[in-house]
Amino acid sequence: MKLSFRKLSLRFILRIFFAALFLIPLVWIMMASLRPQGTPLSASFGFTDGISLQNFSRMWNLVPMGKYTWNSLLVVGLALPLTLITSSWAGFSISQLSLRSQRRWVLLSLAVLMVPSIALWSSRFILYKALGWHNTIWALIAPAWMGTSPFYILMFYRAFKRIPSEIYASARLDGAGVLTIWWQIALPLVRPTAIGVGILSFIVYWGDFISPLLYLQSEEKYTLAIALQLLEQMGRSDWSLLMSAALYMSAIPIILFLFVQPFLNTSD
Amino acid sequence: MLFKVFKKTSYTRKLYFLLIPYTLGVLLLVIFPGILSFTLAFFRYDALSSPLWVGNLNFILAYTDELFLLSVQNSISLVLLPVPIRVLGAFLMARLMQKKGPFLNWLRASIFLPSIIPAPAYALAWLWILNPLFGPVNIILHALRLALPGWFANPNWAKPALIFMSLWQIGEGFLISLAALSDMPEELEDAAYIDGASSGKMFWLITLPIMFPMLLLLSFRDIILSLQESLTTILLTTNGGPYYSTYILPLFIYEQGFDLLSFGIASAAMWSLYILSGLIIFVLYSLFGKEGISITDETFLS
Repeated sequence: MKLSFRKLSLRFILRIFFAALFLIPLVWIMMASLRPQGTPLSASFGFTDGISLQNFSRMWNLVPMGKYTWNSLLVVGLALPLTLITSSWAGFSISQLSLRSQRRWVLLSLAVLMVPSIALWSSRFILYKALGWHNTIWALIAPAWMGTSPFYILMFYRAFKRIPSEIYASARLDGAGVLTIWWQIALPLVRPTAIGVGILSFIVYWGDFISPLLYLQSEEKYTLAIALQLLEQMGRSDWSLLMSAALYMSAIPIILFLFVQPFLNTSD
Repeated sequence: MLFKVFKKTSYTRKLYFLLIPYTLGVLLLVIFPGILSFTLAFFRYDALSSPLWVGNLNFILAYTDELFLLSVQNSISLVLLPVPIRVLGAFLMARLMQKKGPFLNWLRASIFLPSIIPAPAYALAWLWILNPLFGPVNIILHALRLALPGWFANPNWAKPALIFMSLWQIGEGFLISLAALSDMPEELEDAAYIDGASSGKMFWLITLPIMFPMLLLLSFRDIILSLQESLTTILLTTNGGPYYSTYILPLFIYEQGFDLLSFGIASAAMWSLYILSGLIIFVLYSLFGKEGISITDETFLS
């Protein structure tokens, strides 16, 4: 598709403008994290109080950041593949049922999605205790067994539904089973959706601070989200320290996103 | 043994096998715990003594509480205004960032980045950005000689401030729109282009209608999220104030349950939250269904 140079550059300017606009909160966190300890909120934009990298070393001294980072990575490393398998299985399966069953499963998924998470906090606590998952990593990754969120199932469902049914039919004639068709034919065709679900569920488990707060007791099992809470309890007015921790915690998903997002495109 | 059974069954039966983890997970992690908390609405329960049957007393107590009615109003206004802006904004951003261009990966990443920032960090950053005296927004407004809003400190401005900060976190919608747009076969647009359709016309007549089911799904998701998850942000920023201007229904539930230990009243309010989200979604579902748009739509391909 050809485009005139003028149109291309107008689009480019618009892209730069919105990208800059969306970067504001992160830039603000970065600037704040570089301020020396104890400097108050300032009306000035620059670094009139100087720049300091001290906050990052202070953070490592105050809480065992290395251990918490490892724990967070472990949770995501287990929950993410599990989420991708269960949610794509469900989406794949629903997309090939009869239209009536499809509608039923979609409505059921929406009804489940609507259950307020606050309604599940205390009853899941009882459940995990009964199952022996309390104070273990299994309590944090349990939602991955149901694909983390019915929303991801619906996303996969929409994507798989776009694949023409003839493709499945011819694969079945060649003697391919359900799992072969799912893994070798359907999944590669919806790669953008799969990567999207992967990124979204990464953020869910990485940033989750409710589950570790409710279901973990031993400090050595805490995740990074709890580290941020711990630092906040130590001093809510210590802005530069909190912002450093926030920056550190955001860095890993940001790097991951930069790494995988070229694969979000199948066309062009 | 199990494998042999699996091999013998028909294709459709096997499809249902793939639904087992999802079904079991939903039953165990959502439906059973959900039933447990929702039945508490008919009991007097404070987590210390055993539950006592009280019929519909909790519902009466909740519905006669002025704070309850206020929280429902606040919740509704914090959904109706931001959701259309967020969904449409996310889609238009995805459209803007769809085609190839210089630095595209970086530009896309910057739209998504605010959504990666953990909630506590994000809330703290915005408390500073929208600080009435020292925040950059008001400094710029002051330089432009415009009126200075009080943001989180002013009951009239606290809701707009919350909506404002939510507009930066549209990464999920952006990502899904991007994926949906690139799942769309390119030949379709090319064909229309060859037929002489202008790019604007193409967008309204071809791209948007194909995207409608996805946008509808995104709106449902955003309505539910705005109704529930906004609790975290509010706990970290305004805590319902000033003068209860951001006191939402989940906060009412939270305070009844975890502060006052009236789990029965909290559960009665959960019913209203569930019914409220169901009602909004039902109205949208049937409204769009009349226009022939639904999530289960057969698309142009099948």
